[in-house]
Amino acid sequence: MAADTKKDPGLMDERSVENTVKQFIEYVRKQVEEQDPVFLISVVVALAAIIITCVFLKYFLTSKTVRSAVLLVGLCDSGKTLLFSRLVSGKFKRTQTSITDSSAPYKAKSDKGTTWTLIDLPGHDSLRAQYLEKFKSAARAIVFVVDSAIFQKEVRDVAEFLYVLLTDSVICRNTPTLLVACNKQDITMAKSAKLIQQQLEKEFVFLGKKGKDFEFSQLPMRVEFLECSALSNKAEEGEADIKSLEKSLAKL
Amino acid sequence: MLDFFTIFSKGGIVLWCFQGAGVKESFTGPVNALIRSVILQERSGSNSFTHERQSLKYKLDNEFELIFVVGFQNILTLTYVDKFIDDVQLRFRDRYKNELVQKGALMLLNNSFEFEDDFQRILREAEESSRTRSTTYMRAFQESEKSKKTVKSMIETKGGDKGKEQGGKKSKSSKKELEKPSPPGQKTLQNGNQGLTQEEIIQKKREEFIRKHTAGPTEKPSLPHIQRGRRGGGGSGQRNKQTKVFPVFDCLCMPGFSFYANKHLVCLPPPPPPPPKKGGGGGGCGWVKGWVGSKSLSQEDMEPVLEKMKEHLIAKNVAAEIASQLCDSVAKKLEGKVMGTFTTVASTVKQALQDSLVQILQPKRRVDILRDVMEAQSQRRPFVITFCGVNGVGKSTNLAKISYWLIENGFTVLIAACDTFRAGAVEQLRTHQRRLNALHPPEKHGGQPVVQLYEKGYGKDAAGIAMEAIAYARNQAFDVVLVDTAGRMQDNAPLMTALAKLIAVNMPDLVLFVGEALVGNEAVDQLVKFNQALADHSMSEKPRLIDGIVLTKFDTIDDKVGAAISMTYITGQPIVFVGTGQTYNDLRSLNARAVVGALMKA
Repeated sequence: MAADTKKDPGLMDERSVENTVKQFIEYVRKQVEEQDPVFLISVVVALAAIIITCVFLKYFLTSKTVRSAVLLVGLCDSGKTLLFSRLVSGKFKRTQTSITDSSAPYKAKSDKGTTWTLIDLPGHDSLRAQYLEKFKSAARAIVFVVDSAIFQKEVRDVAEFLYVLLTDSVICRNTPTLLVACNKQDITMAKSAKLIQQQLEKEFVFLGKKGKDFEFSQLPMRVEFLECSALSNKAEEGEADIKSLEKSLAKL
Repeated sequence: MLDFFTIFSKGGIVLWCFQGAGVKESFTGPVNALIRSVILQERSGSNSFTHERQSLKYKLDNEFELIFVVGFQNILTLTYVDKFIDDVQLRFRDRYKNELVQKGALMLLNNSFEFEDDFQRILREAEESSRTRSTTYMRAFQESEKSKKTVKSMIETKGGDKGKEQGGKKSKSSKKELEKPSPPGQKTLQNGNQGLTQEEIIQKKREEFIRKHTAGPTEKPSLPHIQRGRRGGGGSGQRNKQTKVFPVFDCLCMPGFSFYANKHLVCLPPPPPPPPKKGGGGGGCGWVKGWVGSKSLSQEDMEPVLEKMKEHLIAKNVAAEIASQLCDSVAKKLEGKVMGTFTTVASTVKQALQDSLVQILQPKRRVDILRDVMEAQSQRRPFVITFCGVNGVGKSTNLAKISYWLIENGFTVLIAACDTFRAGAVEQLRTHQRRLNALHPPEKHGGQPVVQLYEKGYGKDAAGIAMEAIAYARNQAFDVVLVDTAGRMQDNAPLMTALAKLIAVNMPDLVLFVGEALVGNEAVDQLVKFNQALADHSMSEKPRLIDGIVLTKFDTIDDKVGAAISMTYITGQPIVFVGTGQTYNDLRSLNARAVVGALMKA
């Protein structure tokens, strides 16, 4: 048989192939029988482990990445870092403009008590794009913090940021929940959540350039407007009024 | 003396702060201004910043991601501040090392950092040391080195050769420039001035004083050639006018000249202690440590890489001083940072430089001209854009492109021909107007021509024409007014004054500086001088400065895109448009990532 294939190496007709395969199987069987069973078993186990790992990796990598982050975004000076501090530890801390992100685990006040990672992103214009790029794929929910007191002056900037956020391809695909937190409600001139929602809808008409009226309910993701105040009336002492925010986060 | 001192993390949480006695204003504002103007605009090369009446100095701790800021009144000159910040930083790190190593926002929130006592102690030490240093006493003659030398060794021979170097005679402070006299023939000398009369001594000193203070700055303090005074062999015969510079000690001996001594004494602060070096252990494991994490970056490590990066940037047409400031800033940002495993110094530095370049090119404010025009429309006033720049950069061409873009978006445009100097400028704009109207015929836009030209010929005052054009636009309900000005060199003072007057009087909504991408180091000079002129000649408190940049002739440079960086770095304003050709469609907006990619490409 072996001689046959050697004489005509170019002609691999079916029979010679069959013969070679049979030979190979015979050879393997002989080897297997000669070997120690323990060795055999270890080889089989190793192979099985490799196969199983490959299967698992394939499964996990191609499926959606686990999204367990809640992002705190917003314009500069809207109160994100203080809100972050209140949610994570309940304490008041003096803050400055952030130049990097901060993250900490957050336990939702729900029955299930799931733990999310709360990530506070810097709001400054030159940093916001790159940090959003980094964290948007892991976002389970986005808390968009708005300064309700000076909203009227910043309405176009707020609308543009929100528009960029909502039209981002990754966010459109993943549709995380959007919570618009109208912060700084402790200031008397603060606008209510309803008013802010209406103003933003009007701005979106311009940005979308479609001419039709826009409503947040038209979006594929769940959008909720709520009011909160990271700084309570008594500044440093006293509880912050973030109950509605916590409730919404618990519903995730 | 200090107004405030604060320690906060890069994530924004304040760990500890101190407010000086009697200081009422919160420091949040000034510190935020510091962060926005300096750190975020990559100007951290120099570590001090002035905000209104306060002077702020800061230090970045990149290992634990902390920032230390101290603020004090501008008018005070506190000499101990630099060393003081270093001391506080070291002490804070030492004391809270365990907590800080954990790294994480939760750690910062849960711990309270009681640093008051340590801080007060270090402050007291710093203040005391600065006080004691100012009253140092001069050495007595016996302690000086001159007294230890023999007279013979100090004798000069005749023939105009240099005086003997007395190298060791570095006085504590005086660095005088000493010239070499050419003696007409002196032999014996005496130590000291005993041979001369009092008046002669006074005369000599006076000459020396005047000469010293009219001469330029001295250099090379390492070689004080101390000349001996000339003693005339016959008394008053030899009055060598040159170069009789007496060392400090002689002055001391002279009666009535103690003011010299005080003048020469300059108190140098002791050199700061060298920063503690970390990482890179001795022996054979050093190189392994270089690979496997836990190595913190030091200035020396980054030096060669940064040099190479700086030259690379300069080769890509970034202005030389901008490149060096950028590299300094990146060095400050990375100093002391701990590298991850298997990352080389070069890759860390390159990544940091890339991040800072992208950050510089990102606009600091929203850039959406169409939205602003709509806003102005709703307020029933025209949106005024003014174009300024030096000669030949493409103002008129790009003005035409921008008006085409605005027309495509449904607005009506009035072009104000305020270039009343250059021959053919008005005709050029008229041709553009005709072409644009042909492309968008009035029949399609409600019978009104979409572009109109407002011109008053040549030789008239540009500011007046602009004002009339804006009034005309308001009456005729035009949406946008584009004001074309004449090109001018930044050094031409009368023309710069005229431009500043045009802008100050008409208060345009947007002042665009048109710069070509081919410009190199000139960009810095142009922008600085333009901004200066606009600031100087404006009457109001808040002068209108350049609001945006139009980068033209971008298609002529391949990947030497450095001009974009230079211009945005200098002004801090965004690049609003990029001109990439000479037809109406060649108008783009800046893609920061693409530009930085082209810059960093080898």
